[in-house]
Amino acid sequence: MTKRKKRQDDFQKVKLKVGKKKPRPDNATSVSFRSKSIHLSEQLRRDESGPTTHRQLGIKDLLSQLHHYNATVKQGALFGLRELLASHTPLVHQHLSTILSEVAAAFTDKDGVVRRAALRLLRFVAQCVPGEHVAPFFPLLSAHLTCAMTHISSGIQADALLVLDVLLEHYPALLAHRHAHLLTNFLELISQQKLGGGAKAQAKPGAGKTWALSITPERRTTAQQWRLTVLLRLSRFLEAVVEERAGEGGVVSADKVTADKCLVTPLELNWEEQPFGKGGVQVFENSGAKPTPHSTYRLRPDLEPGAGVDSVLGSLEAVRGFAETLVPLLMEVWVETVGADSGHLISDDAMALMQQVLTVLQLLRRLTPQHHLQEELDSWLRTSYLRDFRQHFMKNFPYSLLDTPIQRHKKKGEGKRTRQQVMGGSVASGNADPLGLNVTLCQVMVTLSVKGRGQPEGQDADWLGPIRSFVRETLMDGGRLGGRQLAPLLEVVWSLVLNQKSRTVTEELLQAVHAQYHQRNLSVSVRLMLLRFFSRLYLQEHLSRSKILARWLASLPVQLVQLGSRNPQLSAQILQTLQSAAAWRNKDLLQSLQTQACSLYDPVQGCVVVLPADSQQRLVQMLYFLPAFPPDLLACLSRICNTGRVSASLAATLIRIIHLRSSLSGWQCSSQEVAVRDVDYFSFLFSTLIGFCQDEITELQQREDESIALPSSFSPFSIYSTPEEQFTHHWDVVEVSAVCHCLETLGSRSQCFDLLQNGVYKTLVGLTVVPDSVCAAVLRFVSRLLDVNVIPNETLLNFLSDCCLSMLSLFLQLEPGTHRREAVWGACLAALSTVPRLLRLVLQALRVGDLCEEEFPQVAQILQLLMQHTHLRNHMIANNALLQQIIQELTQYSVESRDQWLTDLLYCYSTTVSSHRGNLF
Amino acid sequence: MSAPVEVVVSADSAGQLWNCAVFELHSGTNLLSYRGGNTSARSLTLLSGEYILGGQVGKNFINVWEIQRKDQLQQKIVCPGNVTCLTASPDGLYLLAGIAEAIHLWEVSTGNLLAILSRHYQELTCIRFTDDSSHFVSGGKDNLVFIWNLASLIQLDSSRSSDPRHILSGHTLPITDIHCGFMGAQGRVATASLDHTVKLWEISSGEMLLSVVFDVCIMSVTLDPCEYFLFCGGGDGTIYQVSLCSTNFSRDKTFQSDSEGNQIFKGHRNFVTCLSVSMDGTLLLSGSHDETLRLWDIQSKQSIRTVAHKGPVTNAFIIPAPANMFLPDSRPSIPLPRFSRHLNPSEQGESSSLGGVCLRMGPNAQAPEETYLEKADKFYSLMCAVTDKSVFGDGENTKVRVSELEEEVKTLKKINKDLYDFSTQLLTKPS
Repeated sequence: MTKRKKRQDDFQKVKLKVGKKKPRPDNATSVSFRSKSIHLSEQLRRDESGPTTHRQLGIKDLLSQLHHYNATVKQGALFGLRELLASHTPLVHQHLSTILSEVAAAFTDKDGVVRRAALRLLRFVAQCVPGEHVAPFFPLLSAHLTCAMTHISSGIQADALLVLDVLLEHYPALLAHRHAHLLTNFLELISQQKLGGGAKAQAKPGAGKTWALSITPERRTTAQQWRLTVLLRLSRFLEAVVEERAGEGGVVSADKVTADKCLVTPLELNWEEQPFGKGGVQVFENSGAKPTPHSTYRLRPDLEPGAGVDSVLGSLEAVRGFAETLVPLLMEVWVETVGADSGHLISDDAMALMQQVLTVLQLLRRLTPQHHLQEELDSWLRTSYLRDFRQHFMKNFPYSLLDTPIQRHKKKGEGKRTRQQVMGGSVASGNADPLGLNVTLCQVMVTLSVKGRGQPEGQDADWLGPIRSFVRETLMDGGRLGGRQLAPLLEVVWSLVLNQKSRTVTEELLQAVHAQYHQRNLSVSVRLMLLRFFSRLYLQEHLSRSKILARWLASLPVQLVQLGSRNPQLSAQILQTLQSAAAWRNKDLLQSLQTQACSLYDPVQGCVVVLPADSQQRLVQMLYFLPAFPPDLLACLSRICNTGRVSASLAATLIRIIHLRSSLSGWQCSSQEVAVRDVDYFSFLFSTLIGFCQDEITELQQREDESIALPSSFSPFSIYSTPEEQFTHHWDVVEVSAVCHCLETLGSRSQCFDLLQNGVYKTLVGLTVVPDSVCAAVLRFVSRLLDVNVIPNETLLNFLSDCCLSMLSLFLQLEPGTHRREAVWGACLAALSTVPRLLRLVLQALRVGDLCEEEFPQVAQILQLLMQHTHLRNHMIANNALLQQIIQELTQYSVESRDQWLTDLLYCYSTTVSSHRGNLF
Repeated sequence: MSAPVEVVVSADSAGQLWNCAVFELHSGTNLLSYRGGNTSARSLTLLSGEYILGGQVGKNFINVWEIQRKDQLQQKIVCPGNVTCLTASPDGLYLLAGIAEAIHLWEVSTGNLLAILSRHYQELTCIRFTDDSSHFVSGGKDNLVFIWNLASLIQLDSSRSSDPRHILSGHTLPITDIHCGFMGAQGRVATASLDHTVKLWEISSGEMLLSVVFDVCIMSVTLDPCEYFLFCGGGDGTIYQVSLCSTNFSRDKTFQSDSEGNQIFKGHRNFVTCLSVSMDGTLLLSGSHDETLRLWDIQSKQSIRTVAHKGPVTNAFIIPAPANMFLPDSRPSIPLPRFSRHLNPSEQGESSSLGGVCLRMGPNAQAPEETYLEKADKFYSLMCAVTDKSVFGDGENTKVRVSELEEEVKTLKKINKDLYDFSTQLLTKPS
């Protein structure tokens, strides 16, 4: 029963009672939870067609919205595009064509806000797309731009200029290629075309239509300001065109003459590197049928001009035609501007406008496709417009600013705002200073003056006079001019000086520039500019008669000395001029150079040691042109060679140059008097050979130092071991390069040897402390200079044998493998093998009895080395008796310790002697 | 013994044995020698294969020999100053001399001094003509090299200033030697200088093509006939060979890794002042201040022969042997006129040339239009004659011809008739 009771039924019946709450069923669903959605934005985005803006608009949506009728929607779409492209830059490249075409279409939108938004988008796109990617779409862009520029609504016209700004900033080259359409548009912006009606007599027979300035009263800005904006763009545009020309045609504009133009890049080779050079030498590209593209021979004019030049500005006639329409317009603008103001005092805005007029004129002149056509254009401008220019430009020539402080204060805020709007916020207000205006005016006018010598003087005097006096006063003023004003001013002076052959006038102008040059505290760039001006004047135009120039040249060496190492760039420029002038035998300069020579070539702080390597080389090369070498200068030069502050190769160059200037070299010096006296030349060579001056050697005698080895009977001198690099340098100068060679080629060797023998006798014999480099050098020169028929002095031989012994003992002390060890050994061997008596003396000096026991192994080693050497072997055999005696003594003294070295020596001796006998019999 | 093809002409500054001598190129035998005076550096030249001219050292005249009369000094041309360099144009029409800073230009046929060009600032060291005589190149101690156009200098129009065509201002120390390559105005010119460099320029554009820096100053330079190699004589007696079209092939040849060794000719002990390459490009001649002349085999870089001189060698060059040189009886085709010392011949009273024709340009100046017209007429009549003949024939000839032809026709007809008869007989017989 219990079992039955306990067992639960599967389907219990639930009893429901009235008044009680219905129990919850077990399977009831709880609805207490809350649900939240999860956004996986990346996944979602991938599903769709691309990224979106914060408004979930894809690029397609945005582009389609651009065609909406509502301006706000269009503006929003443009903003959205910018946002989208900014966050996803790769999109720009994917959709470039559509974006550009839509944006371009928005240039001519009738709503200002849309246009402004399009402009911002364009600016953004231009920033991140390079020119070559835009190039295929550029025809479209420029077509829309043209459309906007010629639009009937003035607002759209104004905004088109802003678009032009953006394009000019980023794609000047592309824009310059399309100047055909754009130039006329510019004209239409400020003027209107009058079709040549029958009633009006045509002013110019060639042109069918004339242009006149137009005024549109409904514009918000004044006509003056509007013209200013247009002209500003025009000048920038022309600048881009000119730049483009310069790039493609190699036209050298006036201000770039200083920079070396190099059409063919020359190959620079070094002799040592030549066999291992990478690319190989190829100088035959143009040989044969096709002459180089830069040849100055022109058999016929080029049939096809450069690719970028199209019909509008491609030829001189085209440029002239354009100028024919533009120049009268500019003159009208000028006249209206000046008319508004009184006399030579003009207001701020007017000045900016005038400045622009002049800039455009200047650029117009440079538009010619080829450089040589420029003069033709100049002369044409002169014949047709000189009268107008003179009448209008020169009337109130030195213009200055009308200072109206009250007016300015009042409308400063307002004026500023309009100005900003006008200029697109991109023009510096400093553009309109009176000095700049006057200088530009000078530039324009000077180009019109007559060139060539045959022209009568004083033809242009009436208007060149004021210009000249203005330039002079500005320069003489004492005020410091910045580089920006000075550069065009110097250009004016340059052309004035070149065109004007009257000497007094030229001198006055140069005097003014010279005064500027002499100011203190000029900035480096300005100083460099002035320096370049003078050196160009001297180098290119051969104005060698000018006194100012002569004075300037003469002052250059002093300046170079004063500059020292402070400004290597300036020094290099000075040196370049100096070198040419010296080569051209300018008397003033050479005189000044001669007086300054000792300070220039001072071995301690002279320019030759403190300047960088290429300037050093120039300085050394300049030595060739010095009229005379006094002994003190030669002393300086010898010190320079030895102190190691110039490289060994340069020192060699120096020695060779002096060699060339001495009478002993045989290089043709028929007309020049001999600059270096023979006595001085020998002293120079000898002191370079020794490498130490007298004072240093005497000072060495008293010195107590660990670098000086004490003398012993084995090494008779105390050897002062020079520092490693000094030794190497000295060795290079003596051995590798010039000194020995110069001595060898002097002609009579025996006399030359006698002289040097005397030198050694006087300065070195009797010393106790000798530097090792000196020993090595003396041994070297003896071996190279001595030949059979010269018998050296007894004292010299003794000195040499002492040298040799000391060197040999030094040789053993040096660790193997060093440069010094090789040098020492080489010098000893060469000396011993050329002078057999020297070997005998050395062997005689090896008195074993005087040596202490520790030195025996060293002696044995030296003997062994000498015997083993092939050149010396025969000489050793000849001195067999001496050798035998030494070996006997050695065995005798070291009888108690028969060491390895002794057996080695004996073995070596026996082989040498026996092989010799074998040869004999 | 057949006459040699190429000869070496050399001179030294001592002039003890002879002023200048002619050697056979291959055997080194002394063929001729010209006596009297001595010759300064780079001033020995051959004028149109008939005269030898050499500037005297330290004196203001030029020695002239007729090329076949070896011993006798023929003439002395007195100059305004010491001659530092001298050259004659390859066509033999003009003579150039560097006298101090000025270049003097003479016309050989009249002896007139055509121009004095003083653009150099210091003494001249070397003048060379291009091989077509159209341009010449001058170098001086003022580091400058000028390329001049001969035609523009000798134009009668004196108002034009005489400016060089190009100014080459790349060197920084005096110029020592110049060599003009082939191909006239389209060629190249190599200049050597004391500033350790040799530079190669293009004559047409005046641009520098190549600059090689050496360890020593370079005293002489030459190119081989193919212009594959540049030979540079150094101030220490070494001659360097620079390949102008080296490719990278040499890298693979490990055998030639010691490439410095096989680019150098070693042997001289002092300045190498003259270099010259033979016509076939196998032999190099070098003259030096160590008083020897050496001949080298270019391929193996070995010295084949050494000719000792008595003084520093001033001039040495290889030339094709002129025809007259070994014919003692020959005469020069034109006598040498008196060379004038002043620019304007009228000042000397030579009025004969004042009013006369001054023919400087164009060799054929005798009314060429007329002759051409005549020629054209002649040609025209010839052509007309030919066409007339072919169309209309000529009276006499045609009659004869017609009768001949008629006769031939007759005989042919007769033969034909015979044939016909024969065949008809043959055919009709069996029937």
